[in-house]
Amino acid sequence: MALQRAQGTRRVWLPAIVMGLFALAIFARLIQLQVIEHERYAQAADAELSASNTIYARRGTILDRNGNVLSASVDTWDIYVSARAWRDDAEAQTASEALALALGVDAAALRARVAEAETIDVLIARDVEFEVGNELSAASLPGISMNANTARVNPEGDTGAAVLGFIGLDNTGLAGVEAAWNEVLQGKPGTAIYERDTTGERIPFGDHVAIAPEPGSDLVLTIDRHLQKLCEDYLRAAVEKHEAKKGGTILMMHPGTGEILCLATEPALKFSELGDLDLTDPEDLALLKNRAVSDTYEPGSVMKVVTAAAAIDRGVVSPGTTYVDNGVVNVAGIEIRNWDFQYYGTQTMTGVLQHSINTGAVYMAKLLGAEAFHSYLDAFGFGRPTGVDLMGEGGGIVRRPDDKDWSPVDLATQSFGQSISVTPLQLTSAVAAVINGGNLVRPHIVKATVEPDGDRRDVQPRVVGRAISEETSDTMRQMMNDVVDPDGRTYPGNPSLYTAGGKSGTANIPIYGSYNDQQIASFIGFAPLDDPEILVLIMLDDNRDGATGTEAAAPIFAQLADETLGYLGIAPDGDGYVAAGAR
Amino acid sequence: MAAINHPLGHGRRSLPIPLPGGSPNWWVLGAMAIVGFSAMLPVLQNSWTTTRGFETQDLEARQAQLNGDIRQLEADVANLTSLTRIERRALAIGLGPGGTPVYVTVDEAGPAPAKIPSELLPELERASDEPESMWRSLFSRVPLLD
Repeated sequence: MALQRAQGTRRVWLPAIVMGLFALAIFARLIQLQVIEHERYAQAADAELSASNTIYARRGTILDRNGNVLSASVDTWDIYVSARAWRDDAEAQTASEALALALGVDAAALRARVAEAETIDVLIARDVEFEVGNELSAASLPGISMNANTARVNPEGDTGAAVLGFIGLDNTGLAGVEAAWNEVLQGKPGTAIYERDTTGERIPFGDHVAIAPEPGSDLVLTIDRHLQKLCEDYLRAAVEKHEAKKGGTILMMHPGTGEILCLATEPALKFSELGDLDLTDPEDLALLKNRAVSDTYEPGSVMKVVTAAAAIDRGVVSPGTTYVDNGVVNVAGIEIRNWDFQYYGTQTMTGVLQHSINTGAVYMAKLLGAEAFHSYLDAFGFGRPTGVDLMGEGGGIVRRPDDKDWSPVDLATQSFGQSISVTPLQLTSAVAAVINGGNLVRPHIVKATVEPDGDRRDVQPRVVGRAISEETSDTMRQMMNDVVDPDGRTYPGNPSLYTAGGKSGTANIPIYGSYNDQQIASFIGFAPLDDPEILVLIMLDDNRDGATGTEAAAPIFAQLADETLGYLGIAPDGDGYVAAGAR
Repeated sequence: MAAINHPLGHGRRSLPIPLPGGSPNWWVLGAMAIVGFSAMLPVLQNSWTTTRGFETQDLEARQAQLNGDIRQLEADVANLTSLTRIERRALAIGLGPGGTPVYVTVDEAGPAPAKIPSELLPELERASDEPESMWRSLFSRVPLLD
């Protein structure tokens, strides 16, 4: 039987055309969505359903030279609330009350905060204690998710805060060792990806770690926590006693290795006051730098040690060389007088250091000449950073003979520590070279790094140059010993139990090209005499009581030397110890 | 209109399944088993993967928890051994700051022989447990060998 073919009437083909066009439109739209704009929609869908979080790597621990913890990381939780999940009032009520109880905040305020938020996941609390977070996790509250984080703890409190520095919210070091060694400490952060359902809730087992974090290395510092605290206590007391308006510095270093044993500054950063810092205030902002490393000052008479070392090394004088001090010397028409406006008559070079005679320093510098004097300044590392492993180091300012406004007066004043600015660390490094046999050693604050697998790499002392000969160094140690242990009189900077050497300095503070009545009282000393274990610089900035370096800073050195060397277990070699049977 | 659902064909065909009393078609049974197993395999795999995934996540969570606890304990130890804590504890048990130390030098000679820890001394010769040989005992009686 033949089938009859239907007639193609309008009733048939018109709907067919309409439906065909409709199908074509749908097909075109599919092409647009699935092919042309696939990436965009795929990303949008991915963003809607999945999210990622940074997993911060465990930051390395900072230890003192004896392995005591100075700064460590503990695990914490960052707590988020899903705004979508809390659209259900009943769930929001239950969850917010439990969360508020755990965090110690107001539940209503919490709900309001989430309701007003423009993001889906609202950060409620950062660095919540590990135990509290665990309890919240176990409670499985609706809409609450937690990301692992770490926070820094400082068991020693504010001790060494200015050296250690602090980190930001993104676990990056912002100041101190934390910033300077951030790359080593921080490790590599990872990424976690999790999936959400249509209500914004995390899908169980939808989490996965896309990139695992790599923990940072530990740092072992050269700092000794006990000595650091000792120095800070001494400095705080001295600043108060001598009314040092701009604070001060105590820097203790091993002169042979350049290891910094303590570095105390005042005013200094305090962990306990970190939250109160107002970084728009210049005084607060200045706390972020380490004054002993960044700030420069004119060292005053301490510089005579360097001048004498250069003159003796060059062979133009010896400790016994004499000259006549009239109390004043004329340089290019300018009269330069002694600090105390006294004259001392015939003096040896040792006497120049003992009485801190300016004219004697000028005498040595003249014999050396500007070129030789400046070559020694270079050899001692002045005018450039020491290369210490801390951030923001200053290089100091040295006027050179080829500067356009150079004058012979500059050479004369530089010889006793004016017209030259140095950092406390730079000066300590230079004097270390004077007493350690003549080697300029790079100061450092990191003794070793310990990788997560336990691999320890020690930082070796680094000699960056030779400043003077070993013989000159021996001579200088003896001359500096004659300063603190003069015949026939007592000196406040002489330790009672150990032999020592040192030199005081009292420098005027330059203000706009001139000097006013403000001063910096300082003292640098070492002990024991033959094999120095410590070199200490004490500096009091703008002490209003008018005490000189000998009066204000030298006694601190004497006390510190006795306490420090006793603590380090070094046998006394001075006159103060008592032999059995002699007591 | 129930007839509309009747299968077209030429009468009832015998189904190739094992029937009681008849011989089973093992090929068909085998094929059915393979098909059934193939159908179940993804389900089993999925189940197994999910279980393992859960266990892995659970273990990772426990590991993270334990690591967190370790770091918390380390921080506690660091806090307990901090200088401030030690000083506070020393004061609590009645200790105070030490006075000026007196260092002494010993001008007496040391004990003779020096008292050296035994582990640093050379090993003592142990007496032999073996009996003395006959020829040695004989020779020992000879005056020349005394």
